[in-house]
Amino acid sequence: MRALAALSTVLILALTLVTCVDVVGRYWFNAPLPGAFELTELMLGALVFAALPLTTRDGGHVEVDLVGMLMGARGGAVLTAFGNVFAALVLAVFAWRLGVEALRLGEDGSVTNALRLPMAPVAWFAAFACLLSAAAAVARAGAAMSHKERLND
Amino acid sequence: DTELVLSSWLPPRHPLVINAIRPWAKEVEEVTQGRVSVRVLTKPLGAPPAHFDMAAEGVADITYGLHSFTTDDRFERSRIGQFSFLGDSAEAASKAFWQVYTEDLDAAAEHKGVHLLGLFMHGPGLLHRNGPEITTPAELAGLKIRTPGGYIADLLRDLGANTLFMSSPEVYEKLSRGVIDGVAFTYEALTAFNLTDYVKSSMRVPGGIYNTTWFLVMNEGAWEKISPEDQAAIDRISGLAFAGLAGKAWDAADDAAKEKISAAGIDVYQASPEMVSAIKTAATKYEDAWAASVKEDGFDGTAALKRMRELSGVGE
Amino acid sequence: MTESLVGFAVLLVLIFARVPIAFAMSAVGVAGFGYMRGWDPAFSMLGRTVFETALNYSLSVIPLFIFMGNVLARSGFAQGLFAAAYRLIGRLPGGLAVAAVLSCGGFSAVSGSSLATAATMSKVAMPSMRRFGYDDGLATGAIAAGGTLGILIPPSVILILYGILTESDIGKLFIAGMIPGLLGIALYVAAVFVTVLIKPSLAPKATGAPIALTGADIVGVLAVVVLFAVIMVGIYGGFFTPIEAAGIGAGVSLVISFALRRLTREGLYAAFLETAGATAMIFAVIIGAEVFSNFVNFAGLPDALSDYILDTGYSAWTVMVVILVIYLLLGCVLESLSMILLTVPVFYPLLYTMDFGDSVLADPNLAVIWFGIVVVVATEISLITPPVGMNVFVLKGVLKEVPLTTIFRGVLPFWVADIVRILLITFLPVISLWLVM
Ligand code: NA
Ligand code: NA
Repeated sequence: MRALAALSTVLILALTLVTCVDVVGRYWFNAPLPGAFELTELMLGALVFAALPLTTRDGGHVEVDLVGMLMGARGGAVLTAFGNVFAALVLAVFAWRLGVEALRLGEDGSVTNALRLPMAPVAWFAAFACLLSAAAAVARAGAAMSHKERLND
Repeated sequence: DTELVLSSWLPPRHPLVINAIRPWAKEVEEVTQGRVSVRVLTKPLGAPPAHFDMAAEGVADITYGLHSFTTDDRFERSRIGQFSFLGDSAEAASKAFWQVYTEDLDAAAEHKGVHLLGLFMHGPGLLHRNGPEITTPAELAGLKIRTPGGYIADLLRDLGANTLFMSSPEVYEKLSRGVIDGVAFTYEALTAFNLTDYVKSSMRVPGGIYNTTWFLVMNEGAWEKISPEDQAAIDRISGLAFAGLAGKAWDAADDAAKEKISAAGIDVYQASPEMVSAIKTAATKYEDAWAASVKEDGFDGTAALKRMRELSGVGE
Repeated sequence: MTESLVGFAVLLVLIFARVPIAFAMSAVGVAGFGYMRGWDPAFSMLGRTVFETALNYSLSVIPLFIFMGNVLARSGFAQGLFAAAYRLIGRLPGGLAVAAVLSCGGFSAVSGSSLATAATMSKVAMPSMRRFGYDDGLATGAIAAGGTLGILIPPSVILILYGILTESDIGKLFIAGMIPGLLGIALYVAAVFVTVLIKPSLAPKATGAPIALTGADIVGVLAVVVLFAVIMVGIYGGFFTPIEAAGIGAGVSLVISFALRRLTREGLYAAFLETAGATAMIFAVIIGAEVFSNFVNFAGLPDALSDYILDTGYSAWTVMVVILVIYLLLGCVLESLSMILLTVPVFYPLLYTMDFGDSVLADPNLAVIWFGIVVVVATEISLITPPVGMNVFVLKGVLKEVPLTTIFRGVLPFWVADIVRILLITFLPVISLWLVM
């Protein structure tokens, strides 16, 4: 997880730099950054998936906990566990389909338009990150249930 | 009765959608006496480049798109339709493209996994610039030109231009800010993307400086569920007939654009003989390389290209 | 049609069962698509949507505008805005709440998101209001409402998303948001005055000089002004595109913060992590909304709606009133981003079938811009409408001991001001279009 946080940091900085270098380059040096468009796309994709496990671990997804508040602490814990198990299942399906997507991109030899960078590695990374996020959601569900156990004692 | 879903990614009021896709969809219903109908979605079910695979995988029943969306070699033989000097009317070029690609270059084999309903091209491509006429190749050197990639990018780079890629809507932002000096577009795209205030001159080359090729395809499973007599009825209004329909839609859009372009005072000029011969020299290199490459699979690219130009009426 | 309605119902049930909205939308979208179309196509649609959305160039504005706002917040520039706003107008009754609204408006000029604006300003403005015995409801209400301006006053992530969805000019959308944004500030200030007039005890008079305006604060205000100017001049002077503006804004805010030595290493790292967290959260929602709307689209809801309106021949303004009511109702339960992503593709094609007579809206290109502002203001309202008001949740997250009901009660006067504003903006399109034309 710490590696993902570091990677996210680097990617945000790099995204900023790519635009700045491109704009400054073309105005002052008549030399736009080649492939700025697709570099931005690839790095954005990498950032989204690098950050996904972190957000999932921290419970950072948008949820509505009105019913939970009405149900009290124990009911709320059960709902939290349910929501996270559900999220984990969806994330696992994401991982599976991104893996399929990665295989296809690899077989087709899909590359970007100008720099001809391969697309498949980003998809593989995305699949891996979704799997990690699913695990993080399961861990949150587990934590909520063990919290409930304690409430029962 | 069968209802087929067509995923359409062009804006709902785009001339191709209004004058080709929707009329064709209506015709399908008519010729099958309502046994087969086509529902054209106003919002697509995926990004434009995904549309070929979306038909193959059945996300939608019918899709259309550009062969150049895929950067791999899947549609290598379709590239016959990207070269220079291919036709001054989209209708003639589209019909020629359907005939040559299906009859001489086995288009069906390159469209594996789907039923090929139609093939077409847009009107002749031009070189639009935010400055005066380009009369010699030397004046082209160093200009930053937006291209869709592929052949036209290679060609312009050979002639000394810097080529860039960006999405079509971004062209307006970049041209209006002088980030790029010009763009390889059709007449229609010049007006569709609101570039008339920024383009000063447009270079016309006999038969177009480039073109793009398009497909209309159907999921194979969906096709096989249709009765043979309805299949035959649909095929009759597709293929060559659809190439004519789509070509006419592009031509009409180009004609409407030409009026706006001349009203905007843009200088549309014929390329100088010097420019044309420079393009021809550079083009021959890429045509030969392509012909050599398809020869490995047993196709005569040179003859196909010659036939295509004869059919579209620009043959030497 | 029926399938879409069932889908919406199941979606709501899942959302209330505390399934993260993003994954509820994804699941219902895939299930609905699979039911209507088969599982193989549904799953390939899903995989492709997830991947393509994360790699969409235009969406790069999301992390970059958020990063810009976070850097400025971590550098303490928002504090300066609050102090300056108080100095400007804070002597009046309810002055601290007014200053909170004004500084929210100011921070909106360098923040692309409403949630970030509310979160930032709550940390800045809340302590002073508490210190001087302001009612928690009034204090939190002013910040929750003021924060909604983040998506209307440019730059705005939501306006960019709207521009992408409708293929309209993002630069024009930004300009169009200016006057409605200022109108929002004016009406919120009026809401504070009216509230305090009715019940003066809510805002005790702050004695002495409650907030000092230091040199550092002035520098902070100048930094915000410079950054806003860089973005606007850059976009409208033709130096870069609205999408590139996000990257430039992020870069310039880093340079300013470091040059003024306002950003510590810890602060910078926190800004990075907060940005990463918000990015993943927002993209998950966008992906979910995209998957869900693919299902709704396949089920034929948008077309059915267009056909229905064409068949019944309702007047354009009747349709607009219906759309507004739908937005206010959806705004109760939907989160802002999903609301835009789910409704805009359904509603905006209607603009082309509606006949506005010979008003400015006869030009569909202008109508799309105006509709975008109406939709964004509707979204702002949803942010403070119970039971699901994201800005209220943000305030609740920062101030854990304040009951949710207190914040919703405090938001009420601002909600009324918002209703006035959306009616004005809907029926007087010139408010949005004046600067554009
Ligand atoms: Na803003
Ligand atoms: Na709400």
